[in-house]
Amino acid sequence: MRTVLFIALVILFSSCLRLDSFPYNPDSSIESYGFDDYDGEVEIEVGPEYAIADSLIHPLTFLSDPTNEKKTIHGVYLGEIANIATDTIILYCHGNRDHLDFYWPRIKLLANVGGKNRYGVLAMDYRGFGLSEGPANEEGLYEDVDACILWLNKMGLTEDRLVIYGFSLGSAPATELTANPRTLQPSKLMLESCFASDDVFVEDASGLSLPGSYFTSLQINNGDEIKKIEEPFFWIHGVDDSFIRIDTHGETVFGNYKGTYSEAHRIEGGEHGDVPTIMGYPEYLDAVYQFVLR
Amino acid sequence: MNGLLENTTATIRSTILYITIILFASCNATRVIKPLEKGEKQLSAGLGGPGIIYAGAPIPVPLKSISYAQGIDSNVTLSVGLHATSLAFGVLQSDISAGIRAYQSKTDRFGITATPGVHFLYGVHEYKFRSYPQLDALTWWQYSENKHHLVYGGVGTWFELLKKKAHGQIQSNELMPWITLGHQFNMERWSYMTEFKYLGFQHESALSVVDFVSPADRGTVGFYFGVSRRFGK
Repeated sequence: MRTVLFIALVILFSSCLRLDSFPYNPDSSIESYGFDDYDGEVEIEVGPEYAIADSLIHPLTFLSDPTNEKKTIHGVYLGEIANIATDTIILYCHGNRDHLDFYWPRIKLLANVGGKNRYGVLAMDYRGFGLSEGPANEEGLYEDVDACILWLNKMGLTEDRLVIYGFSLGSAPATELTANPRTLQPSKLMLESCFASDDVFVEDASGLSLPGSYFTSLQINNGDEIKKIEEPFFWIHGVDDSFIRIDTHGETVFGNYKGTYSEAHRIEGGEHGDVPTIMGYPEYLDAVYQFVLR
Repeated sequence: MNGLLENTTATIRSTILYITIILFASCNATRVIKPLEKGEKQLSAGLGGPGIIYAGAPIPVPLKSISYAQGIDSNVTLSVGLHATSLAFGVLQSDISAGIRAYQSKTDRFGITATPGVHFLYGVHEYKFRSYPQLDALTWWQYSENKHHLVYGGVGTWFELLKKKAHGQIQSNELMPWITLGHQFNMERWSYMTEFKYLGFQHESALSVVDFVSPADRGTVGFYFGVSRRFGK
């Protein structure tokens, strides 16, 4: 009996099984980005009317967390780089799958907000995704997105022209860097299919009030961080989202926002990854445009 | 487009496969089927758990627990259990229950056992405590001539005590019920148990983040295997 107790205590106090990687599903097997030539799986498909001229597609690298881990992060900017100093920029934080190519149609779509290349769009692969160095982790999300903001700032972007857009996993860095800005304070926050916290994931799946900390050490908590945000907030979520439920995740984040302006788009029939498609691309682009114009 | 979406969703879900390990880490095979005799002791180990769909195939999530039971008198058996899977995550999960002989036929062929109990969970990472009272009632029948074979079935539930969930949301799910059906093969000292549970049948699986093996898209089914050794009498 003493042996059993001893073993149990050793396991208990040395137990390090954590599911911190559960939000990430990256693919780092690619050797280069294909963008329009990529023939793998993509999340949504968009027609040729949303194509972006090759001359306006700029692959980039950023040095993330230069004082500590120094990771090279890959990204892509759509638009005239010279316009960063004068125009509004949408910084797109993608979801938890694969790499930039998987989200490329979405990125192109955003480059059509208000007309083709009306606004510059910057997207990046977080560390561990695509060609970006290092393992995916929570602090890396924030560092890598902030590295992009730092680059935009060096290109002349000011806070009043930075709109940050987070989809799914990307809602974590978008919310965190709006609530607790590092380089620039984004002027507007847009979240699509956002999640509230790991607590809600666990509750949804178990039907019980088990804490997320039983399984992960993640500190991502959009449901609480959103309370700090004053900037205008755009929220869009599929009503039929079976991965990140609208009622437990999305509505919690939206309901906790106490800032100056918010708008909600609950898309009937929308699942997790197809909200723009179900909504219709012209309608989706117009909704984003009207918000950016505010 | 639908196929594409399904693939995407399936892959996303697979990334959180491991979460399911803890989601139902609370569940275990029945501790006390037929109460022990006074002074009789029993050590048990259990394996198995709820089934999930992974890579298109149903698999049980492996949960492990060990338990110790002792007959306080011929009508009441106390049992305590420790859950090894939870422990590996830094969650000390134990349960204590009392198997009460509610009815037993004079021929010892048939009986009813009621088992109130409570599960305790304590996470060492953020020091969060949860407790779930439990009530289990089952009927058993030793159907073979030599009484080596016993079948049992019953119902039970966990009770959710908290009224609020994360972020202050209202907890509308007050029960986590199940239906049990099992078989026990008893030798002189050893017993081998196979059990089927249908868990959380009021819970809509279609809105869950994982694909459980789920009749009518509600709850999940679980399969458990247990071995016990009695001694001390």
